[in-house]
Amino acid sequence: MTQIEIRDLRVEYKTPKSDEAFVAIDNISLDIEQGEFITIVGASGCGKSTLLLTIAGLVNVTSGSVTINNNTVNGPGRDRAVVFQDASLLPWRSVLGNVKFGLEMQRWKDDDIGERAKRFIKMVGLEKFTDYHPHQLSGGMRQRVNIARALAVDPDVLLMDEPFGALDAQTREVMGDELMNIWERDRKTALFVTHDIDEAIFLADRVIVMGRDPGRIKEVMKIDMERPRNAAMFESDEFAKYRRRLRDHLEEDMASMHLVTEVA
Amino acid sequence: MSVVQSDANKINANAMKFDWPVSRSTTISVLSVVIFFLAWQIAPELGLVNGRFTSQPSKVYLAAIEVFRTDNFLFHARISLTEFVLGFSLALAVSVPLGALLGTSRYARLLLDPPLMALYIAPTLILLPIMVIWLGIDLPSKIAVVFLGAIFPIIVNTMAGMREADAQLIRAARSFGANRFDVFTRILIPSSLPSILMGVRLAVGRGVLGVVVGELYVSQAGVGHQLMTYGSAMRIDRLLVYALIISIFGYTLTSLVRLLENRVRNWRPQ
Ligand SMILES: Nc1ncnc2c1ncn2[C@@H]1O[C@H](COP(=O)(O)OP(=O)(O)OP(=O)(O)O)[C@@H](O)[C@H]1O
Ligand SMILES: [Mg+2]
Repeated sequence: MTQIEIRDLRVEYKTPKSDEAFVAIDNISLDIEQGEFITIVGASGCGKSTLLLTIAGLVNVTSGSVTINNNTVNGPGRDRAVVFQDASLLPWRSVLGNVKFGLEMQRWKDDDIGERAKRFIKMVGLEKFTDYHPHQLSGGMRQRVNIARALAVDPDVLLMDEPFGALDAQTREVMGDELMNIWERDRKTALFVTHDIDEAIFLADRVIVMGRDPGRIKEVMKIDMERPRNAAMFESDEFAKYRRRLRDHLEEDMASMHLVTEVA
Repeated sequence: MSVVQSDANKINANAMKFDWPVSRSTTISVLSVVIFFLAWQIAPELGLVNGRFTSQPSKVYLAAIEVFRTDNFLFHARISLTEFVLGFSLALAVSVPLGALLGTSRYARLLLDPPLMALYIAPTLILLPIMVIWLGIDLPSKIAVVFLGAIFPIIVNTMAGMREADAQLIRAARSFGANRFDVFTRILIPSSLPSILMGVRLAVGRGVLGVVVGELYVSQAGVGHQLMTYGSAMRIDRLLVYALIISIFGYTLTSLVRLLENRVRNWRPQ
């Protein structure tokens, strides 16, 4: 069943000085099935975050449309939850308080909130740190809290914008693994932006490759590898093939970026 | 190897040289205070300075006992305290909401920012004579001066605190469906609390100054009035007692606010 329908989506930003609007993404059409895990890669500035935030309802559609379960998106909603890169935890609240925050904002019944929050803190393995504050946690632990906060509100669609972007390579791999385990349980529809090619392949049913100027979809690459996935797959020939293909795409973009700087 | 060895020796030598019983800085501070009081006590007796102008610690001590026993101290303190508390409460009640409005509304800022900044920087005590003309020489004019002194630091810092609130947090809150009121109560207020309290701390100093100077200027009672009385009577000892009481009051209140500030700052990294 198609859950997210994106049709001819165009998003413009107001530019600080001139009256001309800046086209961040244009001509984007995409259908996403319920339970699909989509990863989005592309050079910096190609509009990955913009696409994700538009689906989240945090950025306005200029033209075209985004529908989720046949409802047109025109703002944030209970059917979606976002995991941001970092710095989005309330520093004055404990881990528990932060996970409760999403539930409070969505007006869940008070009696359920505490228990529910604790359940998701446990799910991400932080039950010993329930009363810690964000500054007392490592970067990886903070992202676990972010994920718990998003999952706790029981969204139909999970939107993640480089959630592991600030982590070192090893932590990143561990977190990717854990995310997969959690996701396998109820297979919520997920969109995941990343810079890391291996991560993109490892997590995805489909990888969306975006290009720049204006931001658009260059290719949709289906990843035909069985689930559950495991670390051994990184070494497989299939994986190498996907990896090469994505590299080519991204290097092409890098090359065109150099050209632009030279002309300028 | 030998370099490391000699370095280690040097560190050892240093440690021995500065082997003070208490910490070195504490010793020096305590010593300097003791020397100061000793000099103050002895200098007039040796005829080095005129005791009429400098008084002596022992005399100030005796004057303090007199002040508390026979000087109607509680009466004056109560009047000054009333002026301070009323003026300051009024300032809090007005400045925090106004600062919040300015921090969240661009139009309010465009309209009010320049005059506010001017008033924040100017010493509001220059308005004291006008307040006395408008409100008389008793309580109301002093309350007004405290109010005017305290209000601007709180407004400006509340505004700054709200404006500096992390846009990422606001976006995260909105992603969970927070409305404007939620964002205000759950994000803007807590994240600007340290800044608001800093404004309050600055305001305490200005408020105390307002009471004292207001009473010095013209009054019938209050600690500032007593300062003035003993000043013209050349009672340096009693003058110093009142000066000390005022300082301790301001210092204590400021420290309490700072304590609160540190508590709410605790969650901040750094
Ligand atoms: N709020 C905004 N106002 C104006 N322009 C913006 C805004 N946000 C993004 N842009 C512009 O839109 C383009 C796409 O930005 P976006 O953040 O979506 O890219 P991205 O693919 O997520 O990049 P990165 O990989 O670096 O995160 C960029 O050129 C950026 O300058
Ligand atoms: Mg981005």
